[in-house]
Order: sequence, then structure tokens, then C-alpha cells
Amino acid sequence: MTEGFFLHPAAVFFLGAALLPWVRGRLRGVTLLLIPVLAGLALLAASPGVYGVYAFLGQELILGRVDALSRLFGVIFILMAFIGFVYGLHEKGKTGHCAAALIYVGGALGVVFSGDYISVFIFSEVMLFSSVFLIWLQRDAASLAAGFRYILMHLFGGVCLLGGVVIQLVETGSTAFEPTAVNGIGPILILIGFLVNAAVPPLSAWLSDAYPEATVTGAVFLSAFTTKTAVYCLIRGFPGTEELVWLGAVMAIYGVVYAVLENDIRRLLAYHIISQVGFMVAAVGMGTELALNGASAHAFAHILYKGLLFMGAGAVIHMTGKRKLTELGGLYRSMPITLTLYMIGGFSISAFPLFSGFVSKSMVLAAAQESHLTTIWLMLMLASAGTFLHTGLKLPYYVFFGKDSGIRVSEPPANMLWAMGLAALLCVGIGVAPQTLYALLPYAVDYAPYTTHKVVGTLQILLFTALGFMLLLKQLDPEPKISLDTDWFYRKGARGLLWLAAHPIARADALLGEAYLTLILNPTERLVQWLWVFERRVIDGAVNGAASVTHAYAFRMRRIQSGQLQHYALAMVVGVSVFLVSLILF
Amino acid sequence: MKYALSILIFLPLAGAVILGFIRGNDRWVRWSALGLSVANFLLSVAVLFAFNTATHEMQFVERYPWAPSFNIEFAVGVDGISILLVLLTTLLCPICVLASWTAITSRVKEFMIAILVMEAAMIGTFVALDFILFFVFWEAMLIPMYLIIGVWGGPNRIYSAIKFFLYTLAGSLLLLVAIIVLYFAGGHTFNIQSLMGQSYSATVQFWVFWAFFIAFAIKIPMFPLHTWLPDAHVEAPAAGSIILAGILLKMGGYGFLRFCLPMVPQASLTFSPIIMTLSVVAILYGAYMALAQTDLKKLIAYSSVSHMGFVTLGIFVLNSRGVEGAILQMVNHGIVTGALFLAIGQFYDRTHSRLVEDFVGIAKPMPIYATLWVTFSFASFGFPGTNSFIGEFLVLVGAFERHLLLAAAATLGLILSAFYMLRIVRQALFGPVVKSLSTPLADLNIRELVAVIPLVALVFAIGLYPGPWLSVMHASVNHLLAQVGAAAPLQITDVLTLP
Repeated sequence: MTEGFFLHPAAVFFLGAALLPWVRGRLRGVTLLLIPVLAGLALLAASPGVYGVYAFLGQELILGRVDALSRLFGVIFILMAFIGFVYGLHEKGKTGHCAAALIYVGGALGVVFSGDYISVFIFSEVMLFSSVFLIWLQRDAASLAAGFRYILMHLFGGVCLLGGVVIQLVETGSTAFEPTAVNGIGPILILIGFLVNAAVPPLSAWLSDAYPEATVTGAVFLSAFTTKTAVYCLIRGFPGTEELVWLGAVMAIYGVVYAVLENDIRRLLAYHIISQVGFMVAAVGMGTELALNGASAHAFAHILYKGLLFMGAGAVIHMTGKRKLTELGGLYRSMPITLTLYMIGGFSISAFPLFSGFVSKSMVLAAAQESHLTTIWLMLMLASAGTFLHTGLKLPYYVFFGKDSGIRVSEPPANMLWAMGLAALLCVGIGVAPQTLYALLPYAVDYAPYTTHKVVGTLQILLFTALGFMLLLKQLDPEPKISLDTDWFYRKGARGLLWLAAHPIARADALLGEAYLTLILNPTERLVQWLWVFERRVIDGAVNGAASVTHAYAFRMRRIQSGQLQHYALAMVVGVSVFLVSLILF
Repeated sequence: MKYALSILIFLPLAGAVILGFIRGNDRWVRWSALGLSVANFLLSVAVLFAFNTATHEMQFVERYPWAPSFNIEFAVGVDGISILLVLLTTLLCPICVLASWTAITSRVKEFMIAILVMEAAMIGTFVALDFILFFVFWEAMLIPMYLIIGVWGGPNRIYSAIKFFLYTLAGSLLLLVAIIVLYFAGGHTFNIQSLMGQSYSATVQFWVFWAFFIAFAIKIPMFPLHTWLPDAHVEAPAAGSIILAGILLKMGGYGFLRFCLPMVPQASLTFSPIIMTLSVVAILYGAYMALAQTDLKKLIAYSSVSHMGFVTLGIFVLNSRGVEGAILQMVNHGIVTGALFLAIGQFYDRTHSRLVEDFVGIAKPMPIYATLWVTFSFASFGFPGTNSFIGEFLVLVGAFERHLLLAAAATLGLILSAFYMLRIVRQALFGPVVKSLSTPLADLNIRELVAVIPLVALVFAIGLYPGPWLSVMHASVNHLLAQVGAAAPLQITDVLTLP
């Protein structure tokens, strides 16, 4: 254990959550913003080392491991918490909501600084049960149901993690949170626990299901912490696990493909979280220093621009009350600032040069090339193009341009714009001066993003995507005019693609999304009903049956006690004779 | 401190006798019952502080001849296995008195007498060192409990009370047979310590083990001998439920640890796979049954079957983590389930309903109550930082050491328990307020808070600082496992040759 004082940033958040109910009025907003500032200062003051080691049931709980990797994630989590609280400032009197967010962030920081798997499990549970309130506090039927499914899925992941940790403890006697070889049931279970949190398909349905149902501010928080904490755990625990490369690449494509179908703006963004986390998971699987740097940097950049995108979408929902692409349109007139800030997020996630996504995503792509993973590289490039198509073009087009919906609203409250502005500033800042981010990365960086080759290559792909979007725009129009022309085959071809997306793929998605229903929830309920009948008829029936048989016979036997002496005498004679006869016979 | 255990037994008993003779109004009766039970609690805390954790020997031992011709003694003492259970008993009894403060309005004096007699008998059961004395206390518990359910219970109370009485009595008779068999096989003594560590013949071990098993399994209760429990809970008043779930169920687990393991270790070892399997079945089955319930009390009753499955699992994995986890889990379950039944009682006092569907939207009118309910729900399904997490974690570690598949199945029980508790938490916090309730719901008053606060404190005291609690039982558990560990499994052929 390192000597010296270390104020755990998570402790600041937990204490803040405990204090919050007692703070009223204007002071509450100040407190909320002060908490991340204090936590940030505490983190800056901490020198690398291991702090806060406690004996717990014969094991060591290490609560404060400060090194480059944990510090990087600590910094971005605290930064994002600050932005998120600025974004939520206009909400008055939502103590429960703010407290849940504080505990949630505290849990994420707890995981990040944990040095052993037991602490990781404990803080993951804290995250889970606080985050579900960010969904439930939306207080409508859809969010209650979605929150419940969210928690069930994560309980499954949590139990896998717990089981894996216990097996690991029994087999190796250690619960150290260090790179772990996947060579037995224990590490596999731990890995599954992390993969659930990282939303790796087919364990990903919870994300696209729950995040769109969360509160406006809640979704901003959710988008930043759960999956990125899982990415941190993977970097820390399973770097270089080859299976992750393929899982990650599939994730990257999967998220993009399903975003095609989406009409709900936040669900579209949610699918893109899966896609972006895919880049990070793939990089963890590659396991080289460049790849791990890339995964960390991409997580850092992703939290900012995804937060920005969710804030933009949230601002639209907050002002219009609508969340479907088809119900929105033409908002560029009334919300130009929101549009501009959203587009900065859109360019960042699409990895335009001079935006944050470029300097981080290109690291992952370079790592794939370095490891000669050409197929993976291609899949990731494809996902990149799809990302730009949906978050950078389709969503803003239908929300802010496109057919005018006639909705006239004003810009969102100033605090929302400030929060978005801050995130946008950081996105551009990182894009322009990547060295500031690179200096924080866990390994020394010998990588230059702005080479002619990379910039031109990226721009080519992005511009071709934009061109494709413009050409396809006609087909995406809700009411296409039917004209038989030479472009009939071309049209039909595009329609065929759209049909394919809308039918089999949609069905597959529904199947996957409902899998917990058809495979777990419904059978459980049927089993419960069946067992309940079994309990009453068989188990309890045996007890009550025995009792009622005894009861019934007792009543019949009672008649023998007739009170007449002759009957008793007769019974005695019969009894004695039977006894004598049997004695003689046997 | 020499007579501490005798005082713990006879103080409530004497109080009960005096209450019986004195005419006073109900208020006076309540306060004196509270005073007596609190005094007893303080005394037991003093015993805990004077307790030496370094030894497995019985402490505070008292021995007086009782029926010398049969070698029966009045002998009492505590060790690391029983002391926490004694404390749990003395803690829950004042809480029961507080829970009945306004809920019991008829025959208040008789009710308080029943509670005090119950307390004496329960403490006696945990500290008895003579088998006959143990059996007397064990049987004596049934009578006040029968009365508490049968007199102050719900509409179907007679059915439930008789079912409870007959069911547990059937187990007790087998226990009595086992005691007598051991008396003859173990050299004509009822001294519990002398009966341990003897090498009984395989046949004796076989039959005594199964007699013990049925007696204790009914009390715990283990699947499939559990159906008396939900019925008893539904009809019992809140205080009855707290005693029943909080303490009475622990008698079964205590019986396994005190008698079954050390007296017939070979049989315990041989049949432990069967008991472990039944425990896992109980964990899952109880949880599934809890999911099917519409009555809150029945739901918690079935969840007890599930949680007590962890206790028997921990005992029969026969390693130190498992056994220590099981003992801690007994204490945890007493605290948490006691608190949940207390809370259901408080809800029933206000609404006269225990239906799950009525337990909706209570966070708005009753914020403190809702906070406490959420706390105990989380403690119930073993959220990290609460006491049950420590107990279940230890049991799971012990179980994984012994058998991977059974442990994995038990782990699934954790998801199910979160499932049925969260279902209620969600609707309690976020559901719409029920309009059919005519009177507005009042939050907890001072008396109700006083009853529940010690339980909240313990949830976190054990959850965050498990070390001191475990160190109390350490020496005794190691000694117990050494007794079992020296044993070799029975051979089936040994058992089948009858004498």
C-alpha cells in the first residue's frame, strides 16, 4: 500500500449523494457542480500508487489503484459528470434523480479504481441499482417495463461475475484485478459478466431497449458510464483475448445495421453506442500497446461526443415532446444552436479530421493494420461509413431539415446549451490538439493521426458516404412517387435492400430483443404457475390429505365408543379369540 | 456474570408469572413487557462483551442436578455457534413487543405473557447443554406460538395453528426417539458434550441422522416439509411472524450444527450430498413460489424457504467458510426478514391489507417507510454492503469449493430473489397511489422507528464490518469441523446390517 493521502473520487460522489437531500434551492445546483470539481481535484492531487487496502473475509479489497489507465477513465468520468449535471441544472426538485446519478457515477469511479474483482463486483452492483432509477424515474409504463428488463439482464451479468470471481478465488486463491488468462470456467464467467455490461450481442438487447426510455438527463449519463466501465474492465482484465477482436468487429457492424431501422432518435443513437463500443472491444482483443491506447482514447472521445449527441437529441425531445424521426423535421429554423452543436458531435463520431473521433478511431484502425487483420479493418471501415450515414446525415436531416413538421419551438434552456457547448469544445479541442489526450494514455504514444494518407483516406470514405446518402435520399422519402422509368431496377434494387432491412433483419432483431421474454420470462412465469399448482396439490395436498383422512377415520372410529357395556364385552371376546387363534395357527 | 444465562432464561419467565398475577391496565402491561425484554437484551449484550472468542469451550456454564437417577441436569452454556443466536432472540423480542403495541388490542396481558414465555423458551433452547433440557425448551416453544397464532391470528387461524403444531410436533417425536437412542448408545447420559465425539455404530448413526434430519428440516423448513410455514405466517400477527421467521426457523439450523454434525459425523458426511441437493432445490423452489404469491406475508414466507436453503447448503458443504456463512446467514435472515414482517405489519395496521397489488405508490405518502422497505429489500437479496451479501458470499465460496454445479444453481437463486423483491420495490416506489384507500397513509411514528432502527443499523454493521462478527464464531466452527473432518464416510453395507 502506498503511503500518503488519497481522497477517493467515488467517496466525494457518495458523500454528495448523502448530502443532497439536505440542500435546497439554488444551493443545490452549486453543490451538484461542486461535487465533480472536488472529485477532479482529488484525482489530480493523487500520485500513482495503491491506496485504501482493506482486509475483507480473508481477502484484500483494493479500493484505490491509481495508474495511468485508471486515471484516464477517472478524468473522463468526472468530466462527463460535470457536463451532465450542467445539462440537468434546469430540473428543479428532482433530488432522487440527481442522487441516483451521483451514486451511479460514484459506482463507475469505484470500479475504475478497484484493484480486485470483489470490489469490481460490489461497485458494479452499485452502478446497476442506481442506474435503473435513471430509467424508472421517467415514470411511464414503458420505462418501468424497460427498466425491469434492464435490471434482469444485468443481474444475470452480475451473477456471472460473482460466480466467476468466487470460482477464481477458490481455484487460485486470488481475486487480483489483473490481466487474466481465459483458461477456465472462472475467468470465462468473469468475461461474460463484463461482456453483458459492454452490450456485446447477443447480450446487448438491454441497451437499445432501456436507454431510449430513460429520462432526458438520465440517458446522457447512461450513455457514458456503463459500457465504458465495461471497456475499462476488459482493458484491465482481458487484453489480447483473441475472441474479442471478432466480437468487437461484429458489434461495430451490428449496431450500424440495426440503426438503419430506427425511427426513435435516442434508440438510433443507442445502437451506435453498441457499434462504437465494438471498436473498443476489438482493440482490446488485439492487445498491442497501440490497440490498448486506441481503445482507451476512443472510450475517452466517445464519452464526450456520444454525450453530446444524446444531449442534442434530449434537447429536441425536451422542447418538442416528440422522439420519432417521422414526427420531426425542419427544426433548423428554431434550434440552430442545437443543430450546430449536435453536428459537432455528429462529425466527431463520424471521425472527421479535426474532430475527436478521428484521432482516436484511427488509432484502432492503425492497430488493426499493424496486426495484419485486414478483414477486421474492412469491417471497422464499413461500420465507420454506416455511422456517418446515420448519426451524421440521416438523423440531423430528418430532425432539423427534411419535410417541415411545422413544429416551432425555441432553443433549449441555457444550461443545456452550455453543457453541449462544453462537450463540443472538448470534441474539437481533442481533434485539433490530440497530444493533450495522448499524454494521458496508458502507454507511450508514438503515433501521428494527421498524415496525408490517413486524412485523405478518411475523407474519401466520408464523402462517398455523403454522396450515397444524397442519391438514396429519394428512396428514403416516406412517400415516394411511383413512376416507371429506366431507374426502375435501380429503385427496385434499393427497395429490395430496404425490404430486407425492414423484414428479416427487423424480425431477427425483434427475436433477439424479445429473447429474454420468450426464453426466460415467459417460461419462468409458466414454471411458476405450474409449481404453484404442484405446491398446493401435491406437497401441501399430502399434508392436508393425511390430516383429513385421519380426521375422517377418527369420526368413524368414534362410533365404536357406543357406551354400551355389551358392545365392549363382545369386542373383548372377539379380540381374545382372534389372538388365541392366531397364536395356535402361526 | 456467573448466572447470566440463567437470568436470561428466568427473567422473562418470572416477568410473565408476575404479569399474570398483577391487575393493571394494558398500557402498564405493554411498558413492563418492553422493560423486561430490553433488560434481557442489555444483559445479553453484556454476555457478548464478556465472551472469549479465543476458545471453542462452552462459556458461562452452569450445571445443577435435576433428575439424578437419569443423569438429567439443568446445564447451560454458550459458544461461538449459539451466542449470536441468543443475541438475535433478545433483540427481536422487544421489537415484537413494539410491533404489537397498537396492533394487539384484545387480551393484551395474555399476549405479552406468551411473548415472554416464548423468549425464555427460545433462549433456553439455544443455551441448553443437556439433551432433555433442550427438548423441554424445544417443546415449550410450541405452546405460546400455538396460542399467538390461534388466539390473535387472522380469520383462518385455527387451521394454521393446528397445522403448525402437529407438523412440528411430528418432527419433535422423532427427535425424542433419537435422544433416547443416543442415551442408551452413548453410555446413559444426556450431556450434550459427552454425546459428541463417540463412535456410534453405523446403524445408530444412520437412524439418528435421519431422525435429526426430519426434526430439524421441518423447523427450518426445508423442501418438501415447508408447507406449514406460509400458512402460519399468513395467519400470525406481526409479532408472531417476526418470532417465527426471525428465531424459530433458526432452531433447525442450530440443531444441525449442535447435534447432527458433531454427534453423527459419519452419517452427516455420507448424506451431505443429499442435503446439499435438497438445499439447492429449496433455494430455487422457494424463490419460484415467492414469485407466484399475491400476499406479501406469503411471499416473504416462501423467500424464507429460499434463504434458509442457503443456510443448510452452507452447513452441509462442511468447510469453514460455508459453516460460518451459514451461521451469519441465520442471523442476517433473522434481522432482515424480521424487519420485513415488521414493515408488513405496519402497512397492515394502516390499510388492513397485505396484498401485493395494494402495496403500490407508497413512496409519496410514506417516504421514510419506503426508504426502509427498499433498504431491507436490497438486504434481502444480498446487495453488496448489506449483511446478507456477506453471508451468501461465504456460503457460495464454501459451496464452490465443494461442488461446482450445485453452487452454480444456488447462484441462480440470487437472480430470482432480486426478481421478486424488485417487483415490489418498483411498484411501491413508482406505481400510482391506490385510490381505494380511504384514509391517507401516515408515515412511521417514533415508536415504529425505534423498533426498526436497530435492525437497519445491524444490516450495515454486519455488511460493512463482517470481521468482528465472524471472529466470534471462528474457534467454535473450527472445532466443530475438526470433529466432522476426522470422520470417514459410512459404508452402505454397515448400515443395512441391522443389530
